[in-house]
Amino acid sequence: MSTTRLARTGGPRPAAAAGRGRSLWRTVRASGWSYAYLAPFVVLTAAFVVYPIFASLGYTFYDWDGIGEPSDFVGLANFKQVATDGYFWRALGNSALYTLVLVPVQLVLALVLALVLNNPRLRGSTFYRALYFLPAITSIAIVGIVLKLMLANFGDAVSKPFLKLGLTDEPLQFLGSPHLSMWTVIAIGIWNTLGYNMIYFLAGLQTIPKDQYEAAQIDGAGRFAQFVHVTIPGLRNVGLVIVFLAIVGSLQVFDLVMVLTGGGPFYSSDVITTYIYREAFGQVGTGVAVEPHIGLASAASFLFGLLLLVVTSGQMLAIRRLRARKEGK
Amino acid sequence: MTELKGARARRGLTHLVLLAIGFAYVYPFLWAVGSSLKTKIDFLDGGLGLLPSRPVWENYAQAWREASFGTYFVNTLVISVTTVAFTLLFTAMAGYALARHTFPGKKIILGVILATYLLPHGYTIVPIYDLINSLGLLNTLTSVILAQVGGGLVFGTFMFMAYFSTLPRELEEAARVDGAGFNTLFFRVMLPVSKPMMATLGLFTFISSWNNFFLPLVFTLGRPELRTVGVGLYAFTNQTTTDWTLLCAGAVISLAPIVVVFVVAQRYIVEAIAGAVKA
Repeated sequence: MSTTRLARTGGPRPAAAAGRGRSLWRTVRASGWSYAYLAPFVVLTAAFVVYPIFASLGYTFYDWDGIGEPSDFVGLANFKQVATDGYFWRALGNSALYTLVLVPVQLVLALVLALVLNNPRLRGSTFYRALYFLPAITSIAIVGIVLKLMLANFGDAVSKPFLKLGLTDEPLQFLGSPHLSMWTVIAIGIWNTLGYNMIYFLAGLQTIPKDQYEAAQIDGAGRFAQFVHVTIPGLRNVGLVIVFLAIVGSLQVFDLVMVLTGGGPFYSSDVITTYIYREAFGQVGTGVAVEPHIGLASAASFLFGLLLLVVTSGQMLAIRRLRARKEGK
Repeated sequence: MTELKGARARRGLTHLVLLAIGFAYVYPFLWAVGSSLKTKIDFLDGGLGLLPSRPVWENYAQAWREASFGTYFVNTLVISVTTVAFTLLFTAMAGYALARHTFPGKKIILGVILATYLLPHGYTIVPIYDLINSLGLLNTLTSVILAQVGGGLVFGTFMFMAYFSTLPRELEEAARVDGAGFNTLFFRVMLPVSKPMMATLGLFTFISSWNNFFLPLVFTLGRPELRTVGVGLYAFTNQTTTDWTLLCAGAVISLAPIVVVFVVAQRYIVEAIAGAVKA
């Protein structure tokens, strides 16, 4: 009964200083079921979300191959090693390249597609939406394997148009060439996750009130002027979220790179996540045995987590500033 | 009149372009289906062509039995269904307690939820691996389920909490007058009205669990018979003598459930994704 009353008022608890401890104990006891209902959530989240964030920091101080307990304390040596590891910087550079190319290209394409599909007079837009969304909803690990198979066996057929256009002299090695592999991964990445941004933009477009377009038309605005003065400002809030989701998602790309190239050839398409995976679990499946360096992998993870934190804080700052500016108007 | 004709022509052109790009967009899927029905010679001759000269259904039987995709399929199904069940139960319970009750420590829990919801999870696989290892669960399906459920509870609890707090208080009040306790209120009153939320969250959890590659990859490294469809397919490509048509059949087997779920529940999935960005 006391839980109901508290829930309803939600106000300050009984403040009598002397009886405070006792009444707190009483409310704790009366809330037994609430705690019981929260227990699985609290225990599992603590173990699989909160603890790992802090624990990974602990491993960074050890030189550890993952067998037994970490005992070889090395201080900050792992950080120093990561910072001077050319492979780390190359992986970071590739992650940055992936993000910097994918995000703008994909968002422009997704916006164009959303604008076309948003037309209420266009029949079958639900069908098209499903068609373009299919790659995004299916497992990229599996789809990536299919694409790899297509490119590996029939790359010649795929490169025919490029040969005809005179863009290249010999069949392209889309995944096998160190010069091309990263670009192939990026192109497939654009194809793969475009559907999400299309849906996001469609949702954003639907929040723009129709009378704004009507008002613009009355003012004599053409289609382009309407796009610039109504659509773009109307999409600003949703757009900001879309941009940051795309950036954070792209920085964390793993499955796609893992199944397409495994980071190769010669680490040409190695991204941060595949670098960490290789250091933590060794090179699996290629026959090349690499001894796991858990401490090094943890140090790289920690730096990567820090980078993501900077990006997400930037996002929240930007959103807050935008909201404040809007209210200030 | 001419203007109308022009508009119609333009719309026709739009459809033509949308269809052509759409066809190219799903071509890898169509190619996988087509190739899974080809003979080996047919596959090598056919190149990027879609249609087999004569469909060979035996590829599926072979992939299912000899290439172990039957086992992989069952493993993935067990993992996904169990993950969905536990995720829904635990998040609904936690969401209910947080949305409809007050108790000491609630603010702390809400703070932690907000912090972990906003913080990037970064790369925490090493401690999770170590945790699973020290629980003695390495190379079990339970480890994959546990890690997936554990990682997904914050989001689900957040969703359920938002859903439950929109419900009117009278809903519980009437049942409480009839003498319903905490458990009865939850199971008889709250859970039945939260069916739409359960469907949405269940759908999403199922899809992400079925598509999960990383956790089953890491946790089943030592036991091939525990692989999921994605990991099994990945391992299959790394074998020295890979059978391409079998691989395509395996890919189709792995993709089919999600494609079916998507076709059936397209509207809900799209709405839920759209809702995520508006909030």
